[in-house]
Amino acid sequence: MPSQPIDQFARELSPETRASVYQSTKTTHEKRTKLLFDQFADPNRLRTLAGEIKQHAIENLDTLLPQVEARLTGNGAKVHWASTAQGACEAVLRIMQARGATKLVKAKTMVSEEIELAHFLEGHGIEALETDLGEFIVQIDHDHPSHIVRPIIHKNRREIARSFEREGLGAYDDDPGTITRRARHYLRHKYLAADVGLTGANFVSAESGRIVLVTNEGNSRFCLAATKCHIALVGIEKIVPRDRDLAVLLNLLGRSGTAQELTVYTEFIGGPKSAAQPDGPEEMHVIFVDNGRTEVLASECREILRCIRCGACLNVCPVYRQASGHAYRSVYPGPVGAVLSPLLAGERFPQLADLPKASSLCGACNEVCPVNIPIPDLLLRLRQRAKEENVPSPGTPPMGAWALLASQPTAWRAALAGGRLMNHVPTKLIPVPALQAWAAQRELPAWRGGEFRKWLRQRRSR
Amino acid sequence: MLNSERSPITGKRVQLMATCLCDAFYDDVAAATVEVLEHLGVEVGFPESQTCCGQPAFNGGDWAASRKVVRHTVRTFAGDEPVVVPSGSCAAMLFHGAVLEFERERDLPEVEALGRRTWELADFIVNGLGVSSWEGRFEATVAFHRSCHSRGTASGEAALTLLRSVPGLRIVEFGEGEQCCGFGGTFSVSFPNISAAMGTLKLEHVRAALPDVFVSADMSCLMHLGGLAAREGKPIRIRHLAQVLRDALKGGIRE
Amino acid sequence: MSDDREAIFSRVRGALAPLRVRAPLPQYDTEIAVLRQVLAGRDLAELFGERIRKVGGLAFFTPAALVAHLRTGGRLHGYCDPVLWPGLAPHFGAGFQVETAFDRTRVDDYAFGITRAAGAIAETGTIILNDAATSCRLGALAPWVHVAVVERSSLFADLPQAVAGLGDDRNVVWCTGPSKTADVEGILIEGVHGPGEQIALVV
Repeated sequence: MPSQPIDQFARELSPETRASVYQSTKTTHEKRTKLLFDQFADPNRLRTLAGEIKQHAIENLDTLLPQVEARLTGNGAKVHWASTAQGACEAVLRIMQARGATKLVKAKTMVSEEIELAHFLEGHGIEALETDLGEFIVQIDHDHPSHIVRPIIHKNRREIARSFEREGLGAYDDDPGTITRRARHYLRHKYLAADVGLTGANFVSAESGRIVLVTNEGNSRFCLAATKCHIALVGIEKIVPRDRDLAVLLNLLGRSGTAQELTVYTEFIGGPKSAAQPDGPEEMHVIFVDNGRTEVLASECREILRCIRCGACLNVCPVYRQASGHAYRSVYPGPVGAVLSPLLAGERFPQLADLPKASSLCGACNEVCPVNIPIPDLLLRLRQRAKEENVPSPGTPPMGAWALLASQPTAWRAALAGGRLMNHVPTKLIPVPALQAWAAQRELPAWRGGEFRKWLRQRRSR
Repeated sequence: MLNSERSPITGKRVQLMATCLCDAFYDDVAAATVEVLEHLGVEVGFPESQTCCGQPAFNGGDWAASRKVVRHTVRTFAGDEPVVVPSGSCAAMLFHGAVLEFERERDLPEVEALGRRTWELADFIVNGLGVSSWEGRFEATVAFHRSCHSRGTASGEAALTLLRSVPGLRIVEFGEGEQCCGFGGTFSVSFPNISAAMGTLKLEHVRAALPDVFVSADMSCLMHLGGLAAREGKPIRIRHLAQVLRDALKGGIRE
Repeated sequence: MSDDREAIFSRVRGALAPLRVRAPLPQYDTEIAVLRQVLAGRDLAELFGERIRKVGGLAFFTPAALVAHLRTGGRLHGYCDPVLWPGLAPHFGAGFQVETAFDRTRVDDYAFGITRAAGAIAETGTIILNDAATSCRLGALAPWVHVAVVERSSLFADLPQAVAGLGDDRNVVWCTGPSKTADVEGILIEGVHGPGEQIALVV
């Protein structure tokens, strides 16, 4: 019986990669749990509240989007709208061309991964440099991130040291401190030479139009201290209704993502720099990106738009821990990716319809989610959609015959009795693929179909 | 809570849903459930036409097939008595999963009504009947696997409350207790490699705690883990919660 | 562009139209997001000093202690906010070279940068910078050591209070400890792009 693509990927993953993914996700998850439960009387109340705040926001985008647009414009920013990935890339290019700009430094943004911005800009002769250490390493290796928060969770220091050597960033040295110092030295001159700093947004307040950005390395701050033009790429679901909601969400984001009370740099950007400030962008552009989000909003899986990209569901997920991020063949891996990626894929849904199957439905993702997204329910809805659209699903046993059996009590009882044959026939000879797949790894208990009913009748007749 | 709205318990009669796994493999678990409930003075009815809760097809995405089975289950367990299930997984299917797949169906109210009176065994004993301590004796060190379907319900805590109260029984913690065993229904056969890796990890943690017995309120997890352990040539002694409670009344572990 | 705007708005309206009820805006007391047991009965400046050390930063309560620290670390060349310098200069003895204009063509020349904080958050050990208070963004970011001069009266107790006090500055930055990464094998390294030492001088 063929297994699912993600299972095959996991089987072929190097033991070294699996061990490092497993170890770091487990450590972060355990620290996260300790931090939340040590510090808050009832972290689950906080998660539920955060979920309600975000759910309100996404269900009121029709009023909040115009509101945020007005606030941003009032703050001196220019607002742009992009329906598609292509449109978003072109909007960035237009802004750059209007300024005669050729060099862009970018902070980590998942939307830019989604729309493949760096690749697009390079094709138009623009240098687009990743500045987050992990993303920078991904970029020089022409690789893909394998985790939302920890892009190079799949790489070890030796591979990184070899890449640095190859790129002329110094002789081979795999000390993480040295690697970091070399990137610091190289990148700071790139910031200073760049024309434009590009960031994402973790939250946008509809009340004040403030864009909130969190980073640990300070790279987004450097982008906004060194360059004269700021472009923020923002998914339309990033809106929160009020500034006060930010305190709730920020408390959860750092703890959930990296087990920190607060991420090192939390920036609240309300517009271009003030006149007295010598450093920073004189021009600010905010590009709101749809790229499939309105389709998700229209679906029965709209709760996934609450996601604040903390990565906690990846860290706790037993499947992610075994398979790592590239197994998901998309920008968003893990449980959130298994929901979001097929939805954002639009017409390419069938190509990613196996992702929602990559779950034992254990529910750990929902239990850790800072915005309480019912991920298992959404995975189930997408499995149902795949079935309705007749997407083939290797290894999934057909259910029609079983359903017939399980809705006819006489047939069911006959099957219970007939199953006894299994005790007398070698398992290998029973031509049921699911049974074979089971028995390849596990012993099957003895068939005792009908025994309980017999016992109960005897007990009752006494 | 996934099952916060519940019909109040009136009277001392319940209907037992034995589950398909007990019907086919683990008759002693269903028998123990009956003995435990009867010990508490509960009269146990067993609708003979019962089959399965419908979960395999639900999880597989074939909701039409699953609904067929759920409709049969709703008919089978008619009435207003509580339905008690020795499985957190099947119970959750009835009070949560079935409701999801019937969202757009006209008979949703009937499905919801069944969900409101469906109880996982430990939850029923502790939170339904208000019984929080157990008598007898069970001299053993027990590792308790809090199966995933107890997340978001009171079942895990209820089972631990009962186990902790059994004279002679000691609970040992083991590493990564919140992690899934890797069963996951059809997941165990369509993701054989990941499923087995998850199970092996769980077994390593459990074995390191040196329990005499490995206990859960779900036979599906135990079937998977017990089967893996046996194939490794290092079998573990698995018991359902109901068996432990029943055996405690009879003086301890029975082989 | 404007086509995209109308298209997105129209799809959003279309997506939300079938919802019979929209999720309400939750009303809540921000107390839920406060670490009350951390704050209870504490002097805010003392607590801030404790919390900033917990996130890998440092707090000094006298200019002399700060100067001694810089001297010990061999950080003798730096930048200082021109408004702050007249008050601090007497504490910096011979051997220090301090500039009051930050030259971005020589970012690596500055071993430290001293700027004014707009405030701080006791609960999290966070320094608050903004465009009005902080003389230059780069001076607070590029040198290995950043010193923020924090006035006691500007301390916020907790996150919700600090959010409520964001004010009307276009650019507010909360700095909680030194710049850091754990990208390489999960090993914590301080001083990635920003300061490796984040110091508050509480006055």
